[in-house]
Amino acid sequence: MSTFRLPDLGEGLAEAEIIEWHVKVGDHVRVDQPMVSVETAKAVVEVPAPFSGVVTALRGVPGEIIPTGAPLIEFDSGTVVGTMPAPSEEEFVESAAIGGARSRGGNGSGRGRAVPAARALARRLGVDPAAVQGSGRDGLITLDDILQYANISATTNFAPAANGRSAAPAARPIAALGPADGSVEPLRGVRRAMAQSMSMSRDQVAGSTVCDDADIQQWTRRNDYMLRLVRAMVCAWRAEPALNAWYDSVAQSRILVAHIDLAIAVDTPGGLIVPVLRNVETKSAAELRAAIILQKNAAHQRSTRSEDLRDFTLMLSNFGTLAGRYGIPLVVPPAVAILGAGKVREDAVVVAGAVRAHRRMPLSLSFDHRCITGGEACRFLGAVINDLEKPD
Amino acid sequence: MVEAIALAHGWEMQHEANVVVIGQDVGANGGVFRATAGLQERFGKDRVQDTPLAEATIAGMAVGMATHGLKPVAEIQFMGFLYPALDQIVNHMSRMRNRTRGRLSCPIVVRMPHGGGIHAPEHHSESTETMLCHVPGIRVVCPSSPARAYGLLLAAIRDPDPVMFLEPVRLYRAVRQEVSDDGQALPLDACFTLREGSDVTLVTWGAMTLETLRAAADLDKRGIGAEVIDLATLSPIDIDTILASVAKTGRLVIVHEAARNVGVGAEISALVAEHGLYDLQAPIQRVTGFDTVMPLFKLEHDYIPSVQRIIDAAELTLAD
Repeated sequence: MSTFRLPDLGEGLAEAEIIEWHVKVGDHVRVDQPMVSVETAKAVVEVPAPFSGVVTALRGVPGEIIPTGAPLIEFDSGTVVGTMPAPSEEEFVESAAIGGARSRGGNGSGRGRAVPAARALARRLGVDPAAVQGSGRDGLITLDDILQYANISATTNFAPAANGRSAAPAARPIAALGPADGSVEPLRGVRRAMAQSMSMSRDQVAGSTVCDDADIQQWTRRNDYMLRLVRAMVCAWRAEPALNAWYDSVAQSRILVAHIDLAIAVDTPGGLIVPVLRNVETKSAAELRAAIILQKNAAHQRSTRSEDLRDFTLMLSNFGTLAGRYGIPLVVPPAVAILGAGKVREDAVVVAGAVRAHRRMPLSLSFDHRCITGGEACRFLGAVINDLEKPD
Repeated sequence: MVEAIALAHGWEMQHEANVVVIGQDVGANGGVFRATAGLQERFGKDRVQDTPLAEATIAGMAVGMATHGLKPVAEIQFMGFLYPALDQIVNHMSRMRNRTRGRLSCPIVVRMPHGGGIHAPEHHSESTETMLCHVPGIRVVCPSSPARAYGLLLAAIRDPDPVMFLEPVRLYRAVRQEVSDDGQALPLDACFTLREGSDVTLVTWGAMTLETLRAAADLDKRGIGAEVIDLATLSPIDIDTILASVAKTGRLVIVHEAARNVGVGAEISALVAEHGLYDLQAPIQRVTGFDTVMPLFKLEHDYIPSVQRIIDAAELTLAD
């Protein structure tokens, strides 16, 4: 409770007459709001409120003369400590439901409940957990569910080098840890797509690789490697069809594809591009050569169409045009095999008991051992070599 | 809100003869914030007793009165002055039922202004509810509107066990709300859902409901539906309501004015981690005061979580 006394309204006047009260008991008044008109010897003066509060008593009625310093008005300013915020003019409107919201479930009820590690894995694989059917208790999404879903997804709409979904950020930002003399470059486009398909390969495929050499000493046309490799793979497919297939690990099933869509790895300054040559088993040498040139040019010009990047059934990487003898090529699901060809060079080979210098092509065949047996892979590789070793 | 608290006192004293009000300046002065204004005139000096400036005495008196059949409502002038009373509260009030194997109980309400935001001096802006929540045997309640202050205070007075009733000073006069003085209590141990939404759950209590509701309105303009839950009873926590909301939204932001370290937000976070982890789409966020002394005057609004900080935290949970 505070008392406001009639202040000295100017030049030492001793008293003032109350003309009119502008407030009444119970009013909320604000700072500087006029409270009362008083008449001094000189003028009618409005006395403003010195602070905000509730009027609890008026000392004096109109016509009464009040000496300077006498109590004029009593306030309840609400607190003796601090400054209370002025109440807002408008009524406080709210709706409060006791306990939970009336709308349970709503649009969120179908959202997947997931083990946090599964959620993290889904993010890394670019899988939307909402699309995954959980196999745990009450539909809980587990790590296995995410892995299996990734396979299904790969079978149905896999697009290895098409515009990839955003990959997961690294566990720790390299920008914060790396040396100061390099700049952080986010992976984009084909380089990002490569990161994703290779991660998927690492996470899913039971990879195994078998290596051998093809003696191509009898070739007369020396540098037509791609064409010969494609032809050899077609021949090998006819001998051993198991490697031209798609594997679905969830359904535990495979499709032995009745034609070959062969993906060929093309190295470009922008990154690895893997265009697909369709129905290579039906193409003539001239058609194949034209298709290879077309796709290589498109890759270098960055004009490869997205439909030319998906749905391959077998893969070929002729890395030997650069360097390297053998390698461990990585299979990208749902395909199950990839053939790598290394750098051709002259080897000392034993022919009929004598050492001869022969040109040989090193070969590395990787296959998904979940779906392909070692015997099938070796038969396929043997058939490839058999065809490559024929003269033109 | 302060009028609603006075109304609740008046109603219950009118209808329950055993209710008494004690505290410093609660009688002739009507309480530091006028929460007991007019009660002494209405009910006399026996039922509305001014006490010395001695919080341990106030709490001790309450224990004595309660164990002899009265239902005291004690006022502590500010939460920062509660600490001398903690000995009586923790060592006697909270465990009288247990100590006497149910023969005696302490139907006591200890009311105290809570939180800052009114440019008060040191010790007048405390939010140390977590200290009370840690003590078994007492309830801790914090209303966030005049209507809930009225209904929850009635429930607290009628409860047969001790209730710490924290009144956010910032709300005492900040909001106007029509409250019907009908003696209807609201349930203790239950959250109140102030706004429904399906994208993120915002849990808060006391004065922070103002900022949280503003943040929710702002998020709504951006197409983000925020569900706002007023915890209301801070101990025990109505975790079922929060878990049900998190199951719906998958995202949780906890907002409190109190310092972060071992705050009530940490307990909520732990409970959701224990029982609702698989529903979470993103890590839980806490928007809190800082682990420092509540600053004075101008800086206190940098301490109290702002609308923007709440929005930022909500968006963090939604960032993929």
